[in-house]
Amino acid sequence: MPVVEIPTEKWKGKIREVTLGGGGRKTVVVGGETTLPFLHFEGEMPNRPVIAIEIQDCEPDWTGRLVSAWGDAVKDPASWAKAAAAAGADVIALSLESAHPDNQNTGAKEAEASVKKVLDAVDLPLMVFGPYVAEKDNEVLVAAADAARGTVVALGSCEEKNFRTIVAACLASGHVAIAKTPIEINLAKQLNILITDMGLPADRILMDPTTGALGYGLEYTYSVMERLRMAGLQGDGMTGLPIMVTPGEEAWRQKEAKAADGVPEAWGKIEDRAIIWEAMTATSLLLAGADVLVMRHPKAIELVRATVDKWMAK
Amino acid sequence: MAEEKSKISFLPSHAVADVPKGTLLVDAAEGAGVHIDIPCGGQGRCGRCKVKLESGSVEDSQNPHLTAEQVRDGWVLSCLATVAGDVVVTVPPARARERVADTAAHRTAVTVHSDWPLDPAVRGYYVEMSAPSLDDNMCDLDRLKAALGRTHGLSDVAVGLPVLQDLGKTLRAADWKVTAVVEQGNVNLPPRLMDIRAGDRTGTSFGVAVDIGTTTVVVYLTNLKTGELVKRASAFNRQISRGEDVISRIIYSQRGKGLDELRSLVVQTINELLEEVCTSLDVPTSAIDDMVVAGNTTMTQLFFGLDPKTIREEPYIPTAVHYPPVLAREVGVAINPNASVYALPCVAAYVGGDITAGVLGSGTYKSDVLTLFMDVGTNGEMVLGNADWLMTCACSAGPAFEGAGVRCGMRATTGAIEDVRISSRTYETTIKVIDDVKPQGLCGSGMISAVAEMFVTGILDKSGKMQVDGVRARMRNPQRLRSGDHGYEYVLVFAEQSGTGEDIVLTEVDVDNLVRTKGAIFAGITSLVEGVGVTLTDIEQVLIGGAFGQHISVEQAIQIGLLPDLPWDKFKFLGNTSALGAFNALLSREARVKTDEIAGRMTYLELIADNSFMNEFMSALFLPHTDLDAFPAVKAVLEAAG
Repeated sequence: MPVVEIPTEKWKGKIREVTLGGGGRKTVVVGGETTLPFLHFEGEMPNRPVIAIEIQDCEPDWTGRLVSAWGDAVKDPASWAKAAAAAGADVIALSLESAHPDNQNTGAKEAEASVKKVLDAVDLPLMVFGPYVAEKDNEVLVAAADAARGTVVALGSCEEKNFRTIVAACLASGHVAIAKTPIEINLAKQLNILITDMGLPADRILMDPTTGALGYGLEYTYSVMERLRMAGLQGDGMTGLPIMVTPGEEAWRQKEAKAADGVPEAWGKIEDRAIIWEAMTATSLLLAGADVLVMRHPKAIELVRATVDKWMAK
Repeated sequence: MAEEKSKISFLPSHAVADVPKGTLLVDAAEGAGVHIDIPCGGQGRCGRCKVKLESGSVEDSQNPHLTAEQVRDGWVLSCLATVAGDVVVTVPPARARERVADTAAHRTAVTVHSDWPLDPAVRGYYVEMSAPSLDDNMCDLDRLKAALGRTHGLSDVAVGLPVLQDLGKTLRAADWKVTAVVEQGNVNLPPRLMDIRAGDRTGTSFGVAVDIGTTTVVVYLTNLKTGELVKRASAFNRQISRGEDVISRIIYSQRGKGLDELRSLVVQTINELLEEVCTSLDVPTSAIDDMVVAGNTTMTQLFFGLDPKTIREEPYIPTAVHYPPVLAREVGVAINPNASVYALPCVAAYVGGDITAGVLGSGTYKSDVLTLFMDVGTNGEMVLGNADWLMTCACSAGPAFEGAGVRCGMRATTGAIEDVRISSRTYETTIKVIDDVKPQGLCGSGMISAVAEMFVTGILDKSGKMQVDGVRARMRNPQRLRSGDHGYEYVLVFAEQSGTGEDIVLTEVDVDNLVRTKGAIFAGITSLVEGVGVTLTDIEQVLIGGAFGQHISVEQAIQIGLLPDLPWDKFKFLGNTSALGAFNALLSREARVKTDEIAGRMTYLELIADNSFMNEFMSALFLPHTDLDAFPAVKAVLEAAG
């Protein structure tokens, strides 16, 4: 029988590996690809994409259906972290939402306490997010960096306007910075350059290229991620970094994940629809090159994990 | 109900106007006969039309061009603020402009020259005729035509009514010895009799090449018989007070009688310059028998009184690119009224006759090597090609390098800082000022120099933000780096040493503006290069025309990523290539034919329709560029600096 050789793309670059955890805790390594996602016949994808489950340091203002999926666990970050670990989280993503000026406007002290609680409750690696208000992010993430000294946590988000303080905290405490840019490949690369110029090694950066949910600009963010990944695989050291995305937050913001009444029947039952919306957003982003998914609903997480199992089987 | 009027008084002139509430201050001023410059055409972008409110109130919106202190003191922008009741405002004196015009243009002057065989479209032919008699009763015109045919082999000479009206008188007064001024634009057209002058005046027929720049107008008076440049003069384009860049002018042209006003202003500028050169030589301006003008598409349309509105609107269509023959009296230029005015052909809305002239004058069209020709002004136009092909594009760079939109920006005139050096050890700053006077501001080359020095010494990071923490500790005078109204600012010259009595600073907002400007130009270059399918390193020479550039340091322009990182000897500054091309077209009919051919040969790349431009632009919004590997020499400098 004639042998047909499948044409394959050879990339000269390799996505950097970034390690989270350690220091007596579980370790997770992301990145390391030498091919586009899941094309095992072309190159290596040595590390499975990881799922970080988002928890908050205060009761979330999420839609009721999503909150009730976690039950009473949401009342305390430690119990929520344990529930997330039980739900199969690879990483815990702690959002310090209470620090938002419109929320409780908590500060460094509360941030430090929340981080310690979560670290004590589970042995998974940790990512910590501020409330996305530059000034408050600086305050609470510096405190979080200090509280988590000894293990590697990822701190986000560094944006062009406030990356210096957070990167300095990463340098001082040995953490990983999450570099967030607004859906543009050049801006993503520029922020990585600025961060490495401060002395943080490139293998301590995760990129958040900013994404949209299914139906809300997903294809645009998809192509930006794809271009970032291809530039990295072509050997560009400042774009060849692991990508972190937040499909949970994106999907649950949309009406398709929230509206139960007054929508066309064809939309289907809200219980399934909301979960599928998150899962579809997440798996699409995986195909675009995501290495870390920050997710919210246990059922969506289950679906995505099962899909990744299949895609990682060689 | 009668419309509610408000009384507005202007100081120091005490001029008064009664206007309806809601009238813009600048319009009220116009009504009162008070002139306020609006360099941006009235868009609130430049901050130069500020006036001080002494009493009364106006409707005003916040504008970043005013400092908090100015707002507190009552300064408002007259192009944005509207009358809300009786008011008194003080109009600051306009910057002296005319006086410095020639200094500015002089710095950019290069001697124009022509390599073409002298073959002008207009020539004087001396003829002698016998006087008519009862035996020889041929009419005056036929007599003249016969003489021209006999003596010079000219046949089928066309004559217009104005010449005919004076013919009989002139021939007799001159005792039948006259110079016939004849134009023949090309060999296929019949010769046209333009003027009859008594005696042999073949040596005193003049032509003029005019470069209508958005900023500066230059005239080159030339002897058509000898091909010799007799005199040049330049002045700021009087349209400047109605908008500093082409877009502002187009916007202004849409106000009331704006178009006619702009047309008159440029014609007036040209006429004054002609008057100036002719008076100094004691020749009448009517002895100028030919005019060639080169300008960008908007300037050319405004000169001819063609509404430029569609140049600014998608899909960006000019009224014409090849202009029909036009007579001086139709345009209003004060030369021989029967003379032709020839405008060099344009290519597209943003690639005009100045670029066609530049491609001719620079020799790009016949080059054996891959040549990048650029003309950088408010717009950046580029042409890439050689003797076989030419590709062109234009990008809106903005007027930052010409001084607008930069806090202490100014044009390259007396008092402008043109070079900045900063010590990487002490951060002490030394400057070079045009004409060695006290500095008043920064011109384009000074801005490039300042940004480059601040970048390589670490004051600016790659995103153009000022680095205070690491740097200030090492500065001999830490006061230089300070927090201002809109982010940080760097003091180049303190008030005690400045000619304005105020600190001369470069702010983060200025740097951002300059990075955008250089980014647009560089993105234009890379889009063009990629559009053709070559790489930057394939470029064998870079020819730079325009006022911009002659005084910039190639090294510093590369350091900020304005010019590609090529060996410095590949860059040549040619000065005013627009004027050079116009001068050549004036003296050679063949050169004129060539410009038509060049304009037709240039393939225009519309960057707005090109997806890659935005990507190129974003990647160029970094110092020197997001792709540092494309700037190996700069990379080496940065690595050496640590």
